[in-house]
Amino acid sequence: MKPLRIALTKGRLEKDTIGLLEQAGYDCTAVREKGRRLILPIGNGEIEVVLAKAADVITYVENGVCDLGVVGKDTIMENGRSFYEILDLGFGKCRFALAGKKGSDFYAGYNEKTIATKYPNVTRGYFEGKGMDIRVIKIEGSVELAPLLGLSDAIVDIVETGSTLKENGLVIIEDNVAPISARLIANTASLKLRKAEIEELADKMEKERAKMK
Amino acid sequence: MKNYSKITPEGTKDLLFDECFANRTVSAILGGVFSERGFHEVLTPGLEFYDLFSEDISGIPMEYMFKMSDSKGRLMVVRPDSTLPIARMVSTRLQNAQKPLRLYYNQRVYRYNPGLTGRSNEVMQAGVELIGAGGMRADLEVMTTAIDALSKCVPDFRIEIGHAGFFRALADKLSVSPRRREKIRFYIESKNYSALNSTLDKLEQTPYVDMIRKLPRLFGGIEVLDEACRICDDKEALETLVYIREIYDRLQSYGLGDRLIIDLGLVQRNDYYSSLVFSGYVMGSGEPVLIGGRYDNLLDSFEAPDPAVGFGINVDALARVMMKRGNIPHKKQPDILVHGEDGYEIEAVRYTQSLTQADILGENSVSGTEQEALEYARARGIKKLAVVGKEIRTIDTGV
Repeated sequence: MKPLRIALTKGRLEKDTIGLLEQAGYDCTAVREKGRRLILPIGNGEIEVVLAKAADVITYVENGVCDLGVVGKDTIMENGRSFYEILDLGFGKCRFALAGKKGSDFYAGYNEKTIATKYPNVTRGYFEGKGMDIRVIKIEGSVELAPLLGLSDAIVDIVETGSTLKENGLVIIEDNVAPISARLIANTASLKLRKAEIEELADKMEKERAKMK
Repeated sequence: MKNYSKITPEGTKDLLFDECFANRTVSAILGGVFSERGFHEVLTPGLEFYDLFSEDISGIPMEYMFKMSDSKGRLMVVRPDSTLPIARMVSTRLQNAQKPLRLYYNQRVYRYNPGLTGRSNEVMQAGVELIGAGGMRADLEVMTTAIDALSKCVPDFRIEIGHAGFFRALADKLSVSPRRREKIRFYIESKNYSALNSTLDKLEQTPYVDMIRKLPRLFGGIEVLDEACRICDDKEALETLVYIREIYDRLQSYGLGDRLIIDLGLVQRNDYYSSLVFSGYVMGSGEPVLIGGRYDNLLDSFEAPDPAVGFGINVDALARVMMKRGNIPHKKQPDILVHGEDGYEIEAVRYTQSLTQADILGENSVSGTEQEALEYARARGIKKLAVVGKEIRTIDTGV
């Protein structure tokens, strides 16, 4: 039998997931001592971990080369597409927020507002829901710069504690754009063809997650 | 100006040799099964008016269709689906024909997929539509045809059955806006347990909310039906469960065993499906290779109401899996190259034909000289060269 392949988002989500899997009794030594390798066996070789960038996790799972994936809700919201989202893992918690320069009224006036963001689809969707026409500018790096330099009226970005915003003189306008946490996703065909294995793993992860709470 | 003359558009490709042969082989196998089961082939136009595929009927979002306008400025699309054109055809040209109609198609459909994800925008689809017949006999006829078709290509397939009416019966009991209902349907379809739960938490907690909560997990073997019957006491929903059990039992006697699975959370976006829905899966393909179901209300939109059931198979996906597994026979190399000397060109053609009739695969040479023909045969790995002149000489090419 082919090992069950799970793609993890490199970095914090990878560490948290590996922690969860270790608590669930899987031997993850190979991942702890991975060096530069990107495909690693865990447990008794019945599971294979693939390390990838967030958006790539979705691509691998959607195409079926990985059966499962762990990825942030932010990436799912931005990239969409078709797969099953079977578990909220509870870690990697943060939120999408709308923030602007301190002292300026974002909603004032009739001019079209410009929003800078790394997440154009999330931003467009949010303002569509509010019935507001906006202009979106995609920024790759520190989005906080855009309103400070006068490129945009506000930003939509991931906020964890809000300290980066504060240090740069920005304030949160809307805090509830969307909550974010890590999700376990599954390929649609894999979930049907390998139901028992996937459910076993998902159940174990869910149990450990519940203990952590 | 940038010149695009040497690349194919995003999501399309040329199919060469083995790949093309595999694709045609699968098409031929499927066409053979459909035809043996009494279905007749039809071809529909590559271009249709956009109105035929408007989103509330087709469930295909506007941005997924390739659009253009005709000389009068009317909006056209490149065929994104074959079922709707066939429904149109049945309601017009075949409205007085003897029903039920047994039709099959084998043609490409075009849908724009968001760029760079590896998906094709152009997919070969083969499928059947049985129009003008309701009831279980028709459902079984179409499902066993689907099973025969997949068995001939990938015997380890899984067929999954569900019922669009199960979710509908439960959702009708919720007092929610159409928008929230669509959200709930989407969360069930994508098995998004956590989002479904948080949406349902906002509603008044009734037994129906509880049943819907469990829907995405209700997939697997026959035990799923027992579980669903245990938690469900809605009359309409129970009727759909009884029907699935009847279909399940009968298909078991067709020898499916554990290749038959049930998913009560099969609530596809194509909401023209009215009751029975089914999908086919194969190891090695990340998406279903077969999708089908009963669509009793679709022909209403053409003012020609008739019950109908059908399915479509993704020929490209099936061909890819079979090629990877080495299940496509290789196209044969020629056994012999035939070269006609000057003045004997037509004799060479005749000789090649006579070889073919004797089941020896011959290729007629177009090289200028015998020496060039010999070099060509060696390069292609053809073992023999026949030179046709006053008499016929056969030479071993030494490969």
